[in-house]
Amino acid sequence: MSKSIYELVNELPQKNLTVFSLRSLDKILPGEWENIVGFENTIRQVTGESDAALIEQIGARAIQLYNDKSEGYQRAMWLYQTIDSTGRLLGQAALAGKVTENVPFLSIVNRLTPKPEKAQTIDLCTKLVTEIVAFCKINGIPGDSVGDFVKALGDYGGESLIRMAALVCFDGLIPLGPNFIKQTETVIGNLTPKDLDSNPAFKAVKEAIPGSKTDDQLTFIGSSFESVKDWMGDFVESKGITPQSVVANLKTFVDIADDKMDYFGAFLDISTNYYEHTGVQTLTRRLVERAIAEI
Amino acid sequence: MLRKVSIAIGALLLVGLLAVGGCQLTQLKASQPSDNAKWEQIEEQTPAVDVDKKAIIDGGEFNKFFPVADGYERVYTQEKEGFAEAKIKQDGNTVAMVSVSDTASNPSAVNKYQNSQRSLAGYPLAEVGSTATSILVADRLQVKVLSRDSEFTPADREAWLEKFDLAGLSKLVN
Repeated sequence: MSKSIYELVNELPQKNLTVFSLRSLDKILPGEWENIVGFENTIRQVTGESDAALIEQIGARAIQLYNDKSEGYQRAMWLYQTIDSTGRLLGQAALAGKVTENVPFLSIVNRLTPKPEKAQTIDLCTKLVTEIVAFCKINGIPGDSVGDFVKALGDYGGESLIRMAALVCFDGLIPLGPNFIKQTETVIGNLTPKDLDSNPAFKAVKEAIPGSKTDDQLTFIGSSFESVKDWMGDFVESKGITPQSVVANLKTFVDIADDKMDYFGAFLDISTNYYEHTGVQTLTRRLVERAIAEI
Repeated sequence: MLRKVSIAIGALLLVGLLAVGGCQLTQLKASQPSDNAKWEQIEEQTPAVDVDKKAIIDGGEFNKFFPVADGYERVYTQEKEGFAEAKIKQDGNTVAMVSVSDTASNPSAVNKYQNSQRSLAGYPLAEVGSTATSILVADRLQVKVLSRDSEFTPADREAWLEKFDLAGLSKLVN
């Protein structure tokens, strides 16, 4: 059986490469994300309650909701885990035991292979679509109008916003460069269903992406990217983010050489699981919010 | 459902830009993870959900009865079977969460109203913990307001409970 929600959140690391890399985004979004780990701790932080019996009651209802497959929470968790797992096995082998010290990027650079632009673009878009589908699995489609729904989507904060910032920085700017939005648009415009079907990230989550055929899924991916590209562009511009500035913030714990930027994208891909890490946090928060309202 | 997403996606995260600028910064402190064994025991003592899902009122039915007030923004956050919830924001900060849940999906929730000494708008009222005030409408629908800001008092919670269209909600229960 897959892990319980409390196991997942209790076992979230307080320190590892994923946490370091997310913390590096604090310069872009100061104070936005705190690495909240632990089931009970999350309940306390989200609800502001401290009574032990009440916390247990909230936790019990949250567990009950998570365990009910028809509620969709397990599916959302599967999505967050699966989208992050495609490149990680190699990373775990290469980086074993090196997560709490200065990470010797240069010592493993010869084991890294930068992804071709097309594959990287598909990864970026697939992660974006994963976020949308997971959002709907967790929250439903809140409100009575499209406007309500858009407001709900736009109300990203905390770990959800950091996840989106990481997507822009680590899967957009670093591997694809400052023109990643334009480049992605061009690549998507030329993609074929065959391209998608041969991409490991897409294949892994294909069954959850709306559309009965790959062709429809490609359309969905294209319209998803089209709808968020302005947000991404505004985010990068308003925060003054460049690939160099993202890397500069990461240099406090990884010895990156500026001429190895391509390789650094591959390094982050294999060494971090920020979707899964923050996804567990988002899902737990929403479960707890629902549980305290329902008990 | 995903068709609706497909349509609505048109403005996905555009509003997120506003959130980047105006969202509330959470100041939370980290602490040690809890012990799995304790929760495993609680899980064992908690029965799996065993209700007739078809009998549960869809959360979307509740939306139109939610309150709104001048100077506040309402952002719907969740809509599931038997549950709908919205944030109440003031100047970009979340001050409260308001929700309606069908207790048919969690029957033990009604127990606390059985010995309730207080009522509001004719419905039994319960306070739980330090942040929650709720009423039970038509013996079935739990309407709850949760403070998310220390200045949002129990009196504010009761005032917001009364802002719901309680009569409208009660008509959902036959």
